[in-house]
Amino acid sequence: MLSLRNDPAEIARLAVLVAEFGVRHRLPASVVLHVNLALDEAISNIIAHAHDDPGAHDIAVRIALADGALSAELSDDGREFDPRAAPPPDLDASLDERRIGGLGIHLVRRLMDEVHYRREGGRNHLSFAKRIG
Amino acid sequence: MDLTTTKIGAATVVAAVGRIDSITAKPLEEKLLGVIQEGPPALVVDFTGVDYISSAGLRVLLVAAKKSKAAQCKFALCSLQPAVREVFEISGFGTIIAIHADRAGALAAAD
Repeated sequence: MLSLRNDPAEIARLAVLVAEFGVRHRLPASVVLHVNLALDEAISNIIAHAHDDPGAHDIAVRIALADGALSAELSDDGREFDPRAAPPPDLDASLDERRIGGLGIHLVRRLMDEVHYRREGGRNHLSFAKRIG
Repeated sequence: MDLTTTKIGAATVVAAVGRIDSITAKPLEEKLLGVIQEGPPALVVDFTGVDYISSAGLRVLLVAAKKSKAAQCKFALCSLQPAVREVFEISGFGTIIAIHADRAGALAAAD
């Protein structure tokens, strides 16, 4: 279990740790990259939107290998937010009509094989997994 | 993130090197919007050295593509690495932003 501050600089630090985990367990580079991108998007969302106050908040992260998948669990004390309920972006819109934003959650949903969410104990618990091979 | 700007013929080429994430998206946005304000006929962003892009980077490219169109500047990307190309495809950017295999192709289309 790793505790991150709600600071964007923490995302690159986490990415290095996940990459090291991947090397240690001989995971395909694409699996590590996709999980890192999903973590980046989920954590960026928490940092940008979860809290009303500008103060420090912890984001708990756990990375695990189980059932042939690399999985990540995130927990934060921000406002309730189920990313699975967010509307998908309109990928067929023209350049003029294409709205800015909404792509982060879309990437998480498309890159991961599973996405789970629950609200428990006043915290958001988001987890996702990418199958290996 | 390293950004190098070169003028080649009518086009301004911005070569990016490094990760494009929520931190480095800001200098990239300032650079691209600054170039567009100068009013070049074409702007090419060379992705040869970019191995990672998150939605924060996609957002900047979408903003730059919209502003370029309004300024009648031809906006294009070139030389996407496979991992970055995959993110573009998932995001549906291939149909709204011109993407070329290499810089020569992007410059030929800019003329």
